[in-house]
Amino acid sequence: MTGRTALAAAAELLAWWVALALLWLVFISTVDTLERIVGASVAAIGALVARAGRRAVTWR
Amino acid sequence: MNGWILAATVLLAGGAGTALWGVATGPLSRRVVAQNLSTSVVCASLLLLAQGYDRTAYVDLGLLLAVLGPVGTLVFARLLAEDLTDDRAAAWGLTWTTVGVDAAVVVALCVAAGPGRAMVKLLVVGALLIGGNLVASRALSGGFQGVRGG
Amino acid sequence: MADAVIVVALLLTAGAATAAVAVRDPARQALVLSLLGLFLGVVFTVLQAPDVGLSQLAVGSALTPLLIMLSVRKVRRRGKEGGK
Repeated sequence: MTGRTALAAAAELLAWWVALALLWLVFISTVDTLERIVGASVAAIGALVARAGRRAVTWR
Repeated sequence: MNGWILAATVLLAGGAGTALWGVATGPLSRRVVAQNLSTSVVCASLLLLAQGYDRTAYVDLGLLLAVLGPVGTLVFARLLAEDLTDDRAAAWGLTWTTVGVDAAVVVALCVAAGPGRAMVKLLVVGALLIGGNLVASRALSGGFQGVRGG
Repeated sequence: MADAVIVVALLLTAGAATAAVAVRDPARQALVLSLLGLFLGVVFTVLQAPDVGLSQLAVGSALTPLLIMLSVRKVRRRGKEGGK
């Protein structure tokens, strides 16, 4: 993996993470520290899964 | 009983009643269209009920249905594809009417909620609902020829 | 008057259940059954049990139709192969 593709992958993961974390913050009822921590970790896992899924459907 | 619950009752009795009649009689193409439209009508009335009972947590029901309703319709579109090749299940007039009702409900709820996170959540639910409904309608009318068959 | 929405939801459920029994073809029964799942979810919601309604909607709107349609498809294919 060259530096350029690694940068693109990191940017994509970051974009997914931001979108998913924002979605989490919108959907919960009360915003506090615990919710923020849980949302950030779940959004990180979700970003990995979302990138894997995106790569699986666009192989060509 | 307030106006929101009254609106939900009218929407259920009119829209969901019509969908039930459509899904129980007639050719297969009409039945799948009625099944598709029933999910968006029921989702809109669930959102109205959430506002009527003044429980914001009830919006999650509408969110779940907005995501899973089109999925259910896509299941039918995929597995009934052979039966639907003869008569395409296209009813764009009805689809756009339902989309208009959904948009009106979401806008009214947004006005009632006022600016804030609740309004953003309602807008996300509305976008998922309308987008999913349109995608499912397109799939039923044979719009995705590339992924058909099998 | 406040119970009107409960009455409407129960009537819809009863109608959907009757229609699901009256329809003969399994594929069309699955269509009616998905509506029955939706209406049951509404009934649970108006009876102030949204947690039950949530799981009912999740199971009834996508999962039950998928299972039934997959079974119908498998049975039809087996019938075409010559009753094995």
